[in-house]
Amino acid sequence: MALMQISEPGQTPEPHQRKLAVGIDLGTTNSLVASVRNAHAVTLADLDGEHLLPSAVHYTEAGETMVGAAALAAASEDPRNTLLSVKRFMGRSYADCSTAAGAKMLPYELLDQGQDMVKIRTRAGDLSPVQVSAEILKSLARRAEETLGGELTGAVITVPAYFDDAQRQATKDAAKIAGIHVLRLLNEPTAAAVAYGLDQQDEMAIAVFDLGGGTFDISVLQLTKGVFEVLSTGGDSALGGDDFDHAIADWYVAATGLQDLDMFQQRSLLTAARKAKEALSDANAVDVVLGEIRVSLSREQFNTLVDPLIDTAIRACKRALRDAKLRSADIANVVMVGGSTRVPRVRERVAEWFGREPLVDLDPDRVVALGAALQADQLVGNRSGDEMLLLDVIPLSLGIETMGGLTEKVIHRNTTIPVAMAQEFTTFKDGQTAMAIHVVQGERELVEDCRSLARFELQGIPPMVAGAARIKVKFQVDADGLLQVFATEESTGVESHIAVKPAYGLNDTDIADMLKSSWEAAATDKDARALREQQIEAESLLQALSAALLQDGEAMLSEAEQQDLLAKMEVLHHEREHGSVASIAKHIEIVGKASELFAERRMDASINQALAGRRVDEL
Amino acid sequence: MSVFNPQENYFALLGVPETYEVAIPELTSNYRALQREAHPDRFANGSERDLRLAVQQSSFINEAYETLVSPTRRAAYLLKLAGVNSDMSSTTFQDPEFLMQQMQLREELSELHDASDPEQALDVFYRDLDEAASKQKQAFSQSYNQKQFDIAIAAYAKLQFLEKLRSEAELKESELLDY
Repeated sequence: MALMQISEPGQTPEPHQRKLAVGIDLGTTNSLVASVRNAHAVTLADLDGEHLLPSAVHYTEAGETMVGAAALAAASEDPRNTLLSVKRFMGRSYADCSTAAGAKMLPYELLDQGQDMVKIRTRAGDLSPVQVSAEILKSLARRAEETLGGELTGAVITVPAYFDDAQRQATKDAAKIAGIHVLRLLNEPTAAAVAYGLDQQDEMAIAVFDLGGGTFDISVLQLTKGVFEVLSTGGDSALGGDDFDHAIADWYVAATGLQDLDMFQQRSLLTAARKAKEALSDANAVDVVLGEIRVSLSREQFNTLVDPLIDTAIRACKRALRDAKLRSADIANVVMVGGSTRVPRVRERVAEWFGREPLVDLDPDRVVALGAALQADQLVGNRSGDEMLLLDVIPLSLGIETMGGLTEKVIHRNTTIPVAMAQEFTTFKDGQTAMAIHVVQGERELVEDCRSLARFELQGIPPMVAGAARIKVKFQVDADGLLQVFATEESTGVESHIAVKPAYGLNDTDIADMLKSSWEAAATDKDARALREQQIEAESLLQALSAALLQDGEAMLSEAEQQDLLAKMEVLHHEREHGSVASIAKHIEIVGKASELFAERRMDASINQALAGRRVDEL
Repeated sequence: MSVFNPQENYFALLGVPETYEVAIPELTSNYRALQREAHPDRFANGSERDLRLAVQQSSFINEAYETLVSPTRRAAYLLKLAGVNSDMSSTTFQDPEFLMQQMQLREELSELHDASDPEQALDVFYRDLDEAASKQKQAFSQSYNQKQFDIAIAAYAKLQFLEKLRSEAELKESELLDY
């Protein structure tokens, strides 16, 4: 298992060899890994044939880490040590998480780290969401390496278009801990458009409508001869299929007059609602049943219930088109992503508003991973000739705090990345040598309404009279949407080196520590396995010898020979309980040697016995 | 990777004539061709140095394109190239007609809340903004070509006002429509 394979980029030995690259959809509920095989992107299945890996991590009492369906199965029995939907905590502080919808229902013990990313208390220690996500990524990378038969060169990992700097950084950090070289963080909607092979066409505008369980994203892309440009993104981070379920549940409660449902009943009702929603994709009416009470829900009624929710989504589409400076009639293709786009009413309304039938041929749950795989394949150089280029935009404006707690935008949302912007500052006191800068992300005017990304101090400004220093601060956002800040004092040319510590990200020391613990865990796992193996071997040797001695010891061995062997077995027995891997192995060998004579004699005896009473011609 | 010159003229970089009347399709097509070569994705598996250079170069191309594609920023850039100070604080412009229009637009914006159909009212407002902006663009182009920089600066200042109104409208839009 290549747990920690960090290869120096660009130093791959054989240039013509096909490199193994994958696309990973690191989802809230489920994750997927896909790769290009025989010129087609396919999602990779685990040994049981399952493609979707539940994004669940369980820390067992025995100190093992389980990922996926096995982990999910432990959720009800050991909820505190079974982490689900950890994507929601990526790059988020305790305050963010505890105010989020549904946070109170979480069975985890979230630890307040102030401005820093929240941690979760488990029996495996206080874990960062980044470490937990790394386990999911490791599992997918291992699956890919086993399926594809080799080490991965790199991966394209998808993130929601609305992910801010801290969330993107957290995702990249998770990959680093998992030992995966990230070729690119790719916006999920862009990946979906790529999956449909729309890059093969000449020129068009595309809308990607992504309605998942809990979030809605709309992205407008422009495609021109292989260049994919994200023109705008928008959406609602609190709109999804779960709201459809809630709408049905609310309707049921209103229709039946039920009151004061307990948590268990609420859960059952939501499950019944989800089943009804799914059934209504094919049926014209279904019964919603909770206990004894059965109410029929027609598709028409259901449509009325969800229409207001779809209205919200359509409004976001309108806004995204406006940002892209396009009209709905300009959109040549609408790509559907996310399980909730299976709802016929959603497809209907989308078709109606855009004036064309949306693309629904690919599995809406897998489409993002497929597109990421295509992009990964190209980035490692497997695909040549028809190269596409994906130009992304920054989803949220970047700004700095100015006097009075106001935000001054430095880079506006929907600006194509990579992008660099410089801003000049000056000192306001004579002889001032330091200056505090606060970087925020968001659209609001007040700093307190935006997300704090980084606070740092510019030091080493040459002392001058107030207003004379000209400090140029450069904000550089790379193709993954990650920010770096540089500063120079222009009048003297003094460069001020600043270390930007993202408030919600992890600093390099944190990452180094996590890498180390990941190493140690791997080493411990390996040692533990070796020890178990030796213990088992000692046990089986001792059992076999004891049985043999009981049967043939007295007949075949002298008293002294018996005593010697028993003494050596006693030592092995002791070592098996308390010894190290090496000492157990050594005593297995000693006992093995000591018992050789006994074994030979038994062999002879059994041959003699087999031969006894048989005629030579029978052999 | 080709040599990267951060002093390069945006028009020259993007291969379009240095005038206000830029052919956007040509500009965009040249821009994409440049990004195809320079984008960091082309160096995703390359050395860290190549990648860093690519990020810089690609950022510069993006900055050049976004400057030229925006009517307001393009105007500011041309004034800068002409060596004209377009700093708003040093601009005194008195144009009762434009001030009147500004007041009207502001009123329209503040009344959006009470509109029976705010979405439609917004559409109307954006259309009014577009109309006003298009007049100023024409004024800028003409005066700039005739090197009447005073008039050009005034047109640019007006474009900035209109742009500011647009972003205020967008903010209002997200409040009104509860995105």
